Amino acid sequence: MVSLSFKGPAEWYAPNLIPIQPIIDNYISLFVPTNPIGGSYFFTSITEPITRPLINSLIAAGLGTIFAVLVGFLAAYGVSRYRAGGTFVIFFTLLTRMLPGATFVAPLMVFYASIGFIDTYVGLILLYTAVTLTYAIWLMKGFIDEIPPEWEEAALLEGATPWAVLRKITIPLTKGGLVASALFIFILNWSEFLFALVISVTQVTTLPVQISKYVSAVGRMYGTMASLGLVATIPSLVLGYLIQKHLVTGFTFGRVR
Amino acid sequence: MKRIDRLSQWMGKTESFKKLSTLPLNFVLNFVLIVPFAIMIFLSFTRWEPLSGYDWWHASIAGVPRFMEAFGDARLLWALIRTTIFVAAVVPVEFLLGLGIALLFLGDFRGKKAFTSVVMYPMMMPWVVVGLGFYLMFQYYGPVNLLLLKPVFGEGGMIDWFTNTVLAFFAVMIADIWQWTPLMFLIIYAGLAAVPSRLIEAAQVLGASSARIVRTVRLPLIKPLLVVALIIRGLEAFKVFDIVYIMTRGGPGVNSTEVVSLYVYNLSIVYHNTSYACAVSLLIMVAIALVTRLAIRPLEAKRE
Repeated sequence: MVSLSFKGPAEWYAPNLIPIQPIIDNYISLFVPTNPIGGSYFFTSITEPITRPLINSLIAAGLGTIFAVLVGFLAAYGVSRYRAGGTFVIFFTLLTRMLPGATFVAPLMVFYASIGFIDTYVGLILLYTAVTLTYAIWLMKGFIDEIPPEWEEAALLEGATPWAVLRKITIPLTKGGLVASALFIFILNWSEFLFALVISVTQVTTLPVQISKYVSAVGRMYGTMASLGLVATIPSLVLGYLIQKHLVTGFTFGRVR
Repeated sequence: MKRIDRLSQWMGKTESFKKLSTLPLNFVLNFVLIVPFAIMIFLSFTRWEPLSGYDWWHASIAGVPRFMEAFGDARLLWALIRTTIFVAAVVPVEFLLGLGIALLFLGDFRGKKAFTSVVMYPMMMPWVVVGLGFYLMFQYYGPVNLLLLKPVFGEGGMIDWFTNTVLAFFAVMIADIWQWTPLMFLIIYAGLAAVPSRLIEAAQVLGASSARIVRTVRLPLIKPLLVVALIIRGLEAFKVFDIVYIMTRGGPGVNSTEVVSLYVYNLSIVYHNTSYACAVSLLIMVAIALVTRLAIRPLEAKRE
């Protein structure tokens, strides 16, 4: 894919792995799609540049992550320390992870259509928050469990309020874990495809949705497709590299570390 | 556990905090999951479609619940069978490959650390990009044909992957295996590395061969872990949607690679058959909830 993204149309069907004439036109055409590469034979029905989907992806994944971390941290803390919500929360969050997202599509579309959330950032971000909350709670619960409760107990005996304990003791101690969870959730949101596909019409198209448009578009822009794929992958790989150690924990719900 | 109990007892006065801490969670879950869920149950008893011309809350209950239709739906049955085949093919392969690589990695060699970090990259990649990558690889003039099949079998050995119903599904499986074998490898490797070395040494002193140590000492010790890995991966593989959508979109031919997720998606988005989609979704959800309930048992046992 890397090799293809630097190849001109003439070389798209050639077996050589290293391009004879490396070009960056593929990347340029992502941003200026009206300027087709390789003459008029290779055209595409896609006319919008990827700037918009790129920014949309950043907004949706970023805000979705922030909300999931905020809500998830509180819930994880409650579950870990006070057994809030009992086993129901645990089972419920696990279940939402196991259910195929597609089974939520039909009722969600009906619901979103009746409250006007289709093709809006609010709708997409809220959805991302809900979907990744499971991961947020489980990951962060693991980090919180590692802190001895005695420390918090001591502070409470001194007369601190639970909120102060949270702010002064728990958050500073779990800072690293919180950042790791946030990055993990960002990667998930960044990759999310199904919900973005059904929610977005024109306004909130994210990068994965844009990729799917290229695959079904008129004109097989192989080089452009490859370069778009790489653009969408780079953030995941960079962030993923930073949280290598926590990646398996995240995917397996803290069962394996 | 005991410490926490004492703590929560002592914190009687922090009861309000306990409630507050899960309040935002409840809000989000109710709004995005419970409400649609209620709508889903209601609609699965009606014959409502977006094109019906009236709002969904005016829909009347149909005589026969819609999910009775699902039992006679051949397309759903085939999608289920196909998804089961997918899971049954992909998960064992990923498991065995992961196990094999993990066993190879027990020894020390140069570049091991670099490899364990490179091996993580497939898991981090967006699913759609993985689908795209393999879509490009399996094109007629793609690398699989030109670099692999042509040199070996000549011009006639080149295969048009995405027009053959079986081979297209095979290509999708390869993409999934490529992406998720690393997870299996990392789980199993972490488990194997955690086996206490004194057990291994004891077995060595007693003269056991290394193959025998693997079979009788290492593997039984990490068995719970292996079960967990298989369950998690199995349930995840059942959800497959993104790579199928990108690579084949259910084709070629008449829905030859349509998996359950894609069928439900098609029902609700492409055919606008909302109430039937709701009924099918509900059935699938109930089935998976039951399976999850059963599957959680070994997970819980491991936890304690």
